[in-house]
Amino acid sequence: MSSGRKSWTGAVRDRAVAVLPPEKLLPDSQPAYMSSWIYVFGVLSLVSLVLIIGSGMILLLQGPDWWHTSSIGHFFNSIHMWSVELFFFFMVIHLWGKYWMAAWRGGRRRVWITGAVAFVVAVPCALTGYVSQQNFDSQWISTQAKDAMNAAGIGSFFNLMNFGQMYSYHVLLLPLAVVALVAAHIILVRKHGIVPPFNLSKSVAPATNGTPSNGSPVGPRATPGPAARPGPRFVPVPAQRPDPVPVPEVPAGREVPAVPEVPAGRDVPAGREVPAEPVL
Amino acid sequence: MIAAIFNLNHPAHAVHWHFFFMSVSNVVVIILLLIVFALAILAPFPGHGRPKQTQR
Amino acid sequence: MSRESRRREDESYREWKGAYSPYDILREATIAFGVVLALVLLLTVLFSSPDLPPSTIRSWSRTDPVDFVTTAATELDGSSTTGGYGPPYNDVTANTQHIGPFYPARWFGVSQPINSAQDFVLAPLRSLTGQPALQAAISTYEAAPAKTKAAWTAAFESALGKARVTSSDSITVKPGNYGPVPAMLGSLLRFAQFGGLDGALLTSDQFYQTNYTEPLMFMADGGVLTDRAQQQRLLGPQWGMMNETGQYPGQVWLWLYTFWYQIKPFSTSANGDILVMGIMGVLSLAFILVPLIPGLRDIPRRIPIYKLIWRDHYRAQRAGG
Repeated sequence: MSSGRKSWTGAVRDRAVAVLPPEKLLPDSQPAYMSSWIYVFGVLSLVSLVLIIGSGMILLLQGPDWWHTSSIGHFFNSIHMWSVELFFFFMVIHLWGKYWMAAWRGGRRRVWITGAVAFVVAVPCALTGYVSQQNFDSQWISTQAKDAMNAAGIGSFFNLMNFGQMYSYHVLLLPLAVVALVAAHIILVRKHGIVPPFNLSKSVAPATNGTPSNGSPVGPRATPGPAARPGPRFVPVPAQRPDPVPVPEVPAGREVPAVPEVPAGRDVPAGREVPAEPVL
Repeated sequence: MIAAIFNLNHPAHAVHWHFFFMSVSNVVVIILLLIVFALAILAPFPGHGRPKQTQR
Repeated sequence: MSRESRRREDESYREWKGAYSPYDILREATIAFGVVLALVLLLTVLFSSPDLPPSTIRSWSRTDPVDFVTTAATELDGSSTTGGYGPPYNDVTANTQHIGPFYPARWFGVSQPINSAQDFVLAPLRSLTGQPALQAAISTYEAAPAKTKAAWTAAFESALGKARVTSSDSITVKPGNYGPVPAMLGSLLRFAQFGGLDGALLTSDQFYQTNYTEPLMFMADGGVLTDRAQQQRLLGPQWGMMNETGQYPGQVWLWLYTFWYQIKPFSTSANGDILVMGIMGVLSLAFILVPLIPGLRDIPRRIPIYKLIWRDHYRAQRAGG
């Protein structure tokens, strides 16, 4: 770290690493409550997008009329089309899951917002693709949808029947926007973590969920032993403890975990702090 | 041209009820969406099994 | 729930302080990529993708010459859809869509000017050199008073309703007072059937062109695109916005866009497009801002599908973890 006046580069780097350290960017553990197939639909949407872009780039190699005259071109056009169908399919299921989980909780509003905007932008991105096909479908879609564009006032500078313009939007401008939004969405997911479950019980602090007194993880998929970590290693605990914490009321039959001891010289992973007051 | 195994280039059949008019293909996609969503939530996830005793 | 307790509860969800499990994010992404790639390849091999050849003015004028000539007549007298469209193509104001006092279509003026008589009929005909009779007919038409022109084209359009198509794809109508209009539109029909009109409309302004507005608007004014669309279930009342040609799945995500067009008042309103765009704009904004909308953001808590998603976690909690 530089001393004296900090450089812009240093400031940006330090902030980036503080917000998103490598262990958060590429974690090797995840919360134990993530034991449902609904969680795979985000990554399925992402890889579908990768396939869309990859097949789209191959279609670019020989220009927009290649797929009409070449079997190989038509093959990659089919990959492009089915990738789009799967992209929207997986994305819709992903968004349904995230809605029913109320995944915007705990400061994650921007995660929802970036995801929703990515969906909304993907729709015109697909539309510009459909009108760039240079076949009957594109003739029909462009001559029909132009009425909605014109009525809304944007037909003046967004002409669906102008192939050159639509191709430019489809191949560069809108995919860039979608990729930027998806990247922001994923970075925010990595930064904030996956939203925890709703609290069912109102009398126990959420920090105690499933955590035994010795600090090793339990949960449906946890594996004991040295490979299991008590939590992500990314943020060190502050050197000074906050004020003494009132011990919450413990209903009969439930254990309250003790504050784990910190061996000298070792950082305790974040998440081991005891909350200042129990949530009511 | 390499032909597809199934030729879908025939005019679509449609589900038509009052003003609802949707191609069978799209109805299939929507039904699949609902089924896959239900399965995603209900299907058991490998590795969780029964609640384990706390490891000490 | 009070605002303060809601805020505190939300704070409790900020960070997970419980147990973690080992997880390989890159391996999961790689497996997901393989699965989706396999699925896409399977769909490609099974079904391929649709590619219906485009309509051309040449094919239109050969397969339905009566419709072509009728459309050309309406372009000549400005009674076609393009002729009466308004902004951004011309300054006819009668048909511009609006919501209350707002006419967004007029805000940016005539940015893509189309004079249907000049651009679709007279200019292409003027480009045909070596045909003095045709050029004389055009001059006769252009010199006539507006009322006379309108009378000629109206009479001709009426006669076309009972036209006969000959074996050589030309048409005959019963005799009447049509002025030079039949000669002009007969030449235009032959020009179109030879394939010259497609190119003439495309390169009217410059050599290199990628803007197909004029030939598309001309074809859309006739029945050639609509007839094919009906066969392919692409018309509005067929929820065509969602559909793909053939039996392929289409754009299912447009279901709500097309839904509004099926019900009153949108299905019968002259302002249907702008009303639907307005509603979808509002709903899209609400979709984006769900976390900020009371009620909408509380439904997941009230309808506890989350109990199914996290049932393992709640079971572990109850087991005394």
